[in-house]
Amino acid sequence: MDEFEEILQDFLIEAFELIEQLDQDLVELETRPDDLDLLNRIFRVAHTIKGASSFLNFDVLTHLTHHMENLLNMARHGDLVIDANVMDVILESIDLMKALLVRIRDSSSDAGVEVAGCVERLDAVANGEASVVPVAVVVEPIVAIKAVEDEVDYSQLSEAEVEAEIERLLAEKQTEAMAKRSSAQVVIEEEPDYSNMSDAEVEAEIERLLLEKQAQDAAKRANKSQNSTPPPPAPLAPVVVAPVPPKVEAAPPPKPAATPRRSEPKEEGGESKGGATVEQTIRVDVKRLDHLMNLIGELVLGKNRLIKINDDVEERYEGEAFLEELNQVVSIVSLVTTDLQIAVMKTRMLPIGKVFNKFPRMIRDLSRELNKKIELEITGEDTELDKSIVEEIGDPLVHIIRNSCDHGVEIPQIRLDAGKEEVGTIQLKAYHEGNHIVIQIIDDGKGLDPEMLKSKALDKGLITEKEADGMSDKEAFALIFRPGFSTAAQVTSVSGRGVGMDVVKTNIEKLNGMIDIDSEVGRGTSMKLKIPLTLAIIQALLVGVQEEYYAIPLASVLETVRIAKDDIYTVESRSVMRLRDEVLSLVHIGDIFEVERVFDNSEHAYVVVLGLAESKIGLIVDTLIGQEEIVIKSLGEYLKGIEGIAGATIRGDGGVTLIVDVAALMLMAKSVKSTVGQTGSEAKKIGVKNSASDYCVMIVDDSKTDRTIIRKSLEPLGITIVEAVDGIEALNILKQGDHFFDGMLIDIEMPRMDGYTLASEIKKYNKYKNMPLIAVTSRSGKADRMRGVESGMVEYITKPYSPDYLMNVVKRNIKFTEGF
Amino acid sequence: MSEKLQQIINRQNNALVGNEQKVEEVIQLVGFIVGDEEFSIPILSIQEIIKPISWTRVPQTPAYILGVFNLRGSVIPLIDLRARFGLELQKHTEETRFIVMKNGDDVAGFVIDRLTEAIRMPKRDVGPAPDTVAESDTMIDGVGKQADRIVTILKVHKLLERNF
Repeated sequence: MDEFEEILQDFLIEAFELIEQLDQDLVELETRPDDLDLLNRIFRVAHTIKGASSFLNFDVLTHLTHHMENLLNMARHGDLVIDANVMDVILESIDLMKALLVRIRDSSSDAGVEVAGCVERLDAVANGEASVVPVAVVVEPIVAIKAVEDEVDYSQLSEAEVEAEIERLLAEKQTEAMAKRSSAQVVIEEEPDYSNMSDAEVEAEIERLLLEKQAQDAAKRANKSQNSTPPPPAPLAPVVVAPVPPKVEAAPPPKPAATPRRSEPKEEGGESKGGATVEQTIRVDVKRLDHLMNLIGELVLGKNRLIKINDDVEERYEGEAFLEELNQVVSIVSLVTTDLQIAVMKTRMLPIGKVFNKFPRMIRDLSRELNKKIELEITGEDTELDKSIVEEIGDPLVHIIRNSCDHGVEIPQIRLDAGKEEVGTIQLKAYHEGNHIVIQIIDDGKGLDPEMLKSKALDKGLITEKEADGMSDKEAFALIFRPGFSTAAQVTSVSGRGVGMDVVKTNIEKLNGMIDIDSEVGRGTSMKLKIPLTLAIIQALLVGVQEEYYAIPLASVLETVRIAKDDIYTVESRSVMRLRDEVLSLVHIGDIFEVERVFDNSEHAYVVVLGLAESKIGLIVDTLIGQEEIVIKSLGEYLKGIEGIAGATIRGDGGVTLIVDVAALMLMAKSVKSTVGQTGSEAKKIGVKNSASDYCVMIVDDSKTDRTIIRKSLEPLGITIVEAVDGIEALNILKQGDHFFDGMLIDIEMPRMDGYTLASEIKKYNKYKNMPLIAVTSRSGKADRMRGVESGMVEYITKPYSPDYLMNVVKRNIKFTEGF
Repeated sequence: MSEKLQQIINRQNNALVGNEQKVEEVIQLVGFIVGDEEFSIPILSIQEIIKPISWTRVPQTPAYILGVFNLRGSVIPLIDLRARFGLELQKHTEETRFIVMKNGDDVAGFVIDRLTEAIRMPKRDVGPAPDTVAESDTMIDGVGKQADRIVTILKVHKLLERNF
């Protein structure tokens, strides 16, 4: 049984791979119904699946594929013209085949899917009853085109072609006769047009026949021995070879309604040219690649750390000989890590063609359904991007393309009236741009009308009149991403339910991507999706606010600007700034992340302009640290889903830095009350003193006597006094933050850390940047005073001093108000 | 002779069985102090105990979540048990420790005031949690009675459960 499982798995993988190419080929086939290569390829897929499924006892699937094969074989021999109706039936059967395969994958059985109807239609079409109405597909038959197809211009046939035609007809007759003779039609359908085959193909055909026989025998045996598998062999429906169609083969390629074509008609999987190039590939479980990627992530963190340590060492041991060597090792490790990372990333890359492949079929179906003529042009399907992104990008693209078909491209009559070509074009492009992949969907339809969008949004109550007035065209275009917005006057089965584009936005945001819409009324719409290549290791901009750091995915950063505080305006209690010709709304990162804001007196601020999907916002930060490669780590089960935080990363110093979730941040920004330009609320709170003991002063002195003298001098004020014996202890007390100090009295000469060092250390703390530091010392030289000022002392009291003098200096500096 | 041998074997077997029962009955706990009370958790739910290291604040979380810290490459949440139990915050001292607890895939670090000792306690000495605490909501698994004191045993899975 295990062996069976294994075979089944292989079969499924192969079958799904085959089918992926199939859709593409089929649609192309409609354009070039006489392309024998293409037909052969499609035929082989049906055939392979049939052979394998009969071997594996999937009778329903075998039954279906058998009839498909039959039909395709006729087409291959030229007994049947593939027109839109025939194609509908074929596509329907392919869909059914897919459904069956999915079912087999999920339940290891193909029972329960109804194929009889489809088989009937297949047979009917094979019988030449072109009028058969396939289910579910609106038949707005393209009569005119069909006529063109059927009409074959014999006069255009060369002599050789006529010869071939005659020969073919003869062969057909024979085949037909054989069909009548033989009850088991296996033989017949295996009767390919040998004259059309290359040697390699004949070889392959023979091998295939053998395999087929074996497979069938095996299947029969399996059936006998395995009574537990209920479904009996599919009843072999009589094969009807189509009555010789009037004229075929050399018909000039008609121009059907939907002509999806690739601009680079690249013959993929050119198997027919023989198996000369053996693919050098190996199947690897995605889990292993994921694991590898995780390990690389750890390595990158290690590398970052190493670089940081190297820098520190360099600073400390400048000029030492071993530094050179260390430098070399660090740079080699760093180089190799980067290369390794790229190499592993490449193993996870898939061509975006995997996603694009399903669109020609979709466009074809849509254009039939909507009675429009649409052509799809695909470029850059070889562009590669990470597997996880390929999986995510499919849905948004489906929505956008459906939208372009439904709302963008007009119906032929309107197009003609507007002086455009009857056939609308949708271009699907993919290309690399730096660390991003850009996917562009361009249609030449009616375009988006900003005024119409605005009034629509107003009607639906999505925006206010005021907002509408102040909206730029781009902002108006962005309205289509609002939930509940739908521009189709009529809700169709294709779109207009107002869910689609909203989903697009969410999905693209999930990928840290951006959307850029451009549109011109009457000329068409272009949508540009910009998506980072990978998700696990990203480039980030590190920013600082007070004493905290945050990492912002660089993919979402459009630019950074340094502005003066005066450049920030307040409009309706929201902060905005003018950025070139745009008005950018601003939000302070501290407001978003509840950062305790102490003092911030700098005249300037940095604004990081963030762009995501179609929206923009300016994020005010205190400092810009720089760009770094970071590895995204989850915050774990306990802390997941924290608003505004996408994850965490470990920095070179071993600390954890949180990664900003730009999408969430933009949402949060809407509800955050702006405090930009105001002094921190914390500072205000501190300013409120209700009693003398709310004032707090620290005395730093190594001599107990001195500390006592100072304490005694200040006691009359009734303020809180904290003592420290040296600089280190003083710093620790500050760090603990049990008290907020209004001032400090510092002795200069102390063990472990002297007063100057302490003062300059304290100035590094944002919170205490403006705290008055008073030196109390016996050093009275001018140089000492100078040093004191340099390190940030505001007063210089020389011992000995009178208690009153000391008290007054302190009172003045901590702005002590009497009267409590 | 063989009878005697049989007896000896029987006795040995009995002794073995007895031992096993005894082993089964003993639970091993690690005791620690938070505030004025001694708590304990099963030793097997402890991944490691480390001295305090720096952590990063995480916004939009309750006050008892101090943030996250880096434990050899893993980002782990840090929870202050004093705050969690509604006690007043205290500055970390020389004796403060982070206990990293795990329950399945859930891991978190907990700040405690100080460790006491590893406790071996017969299972029969563990009583149920006091009735006054709501049955389903309580973090208390039971109360261990020892000669000179009582130790509250905490439910690790409850501690590691997100409740905001």
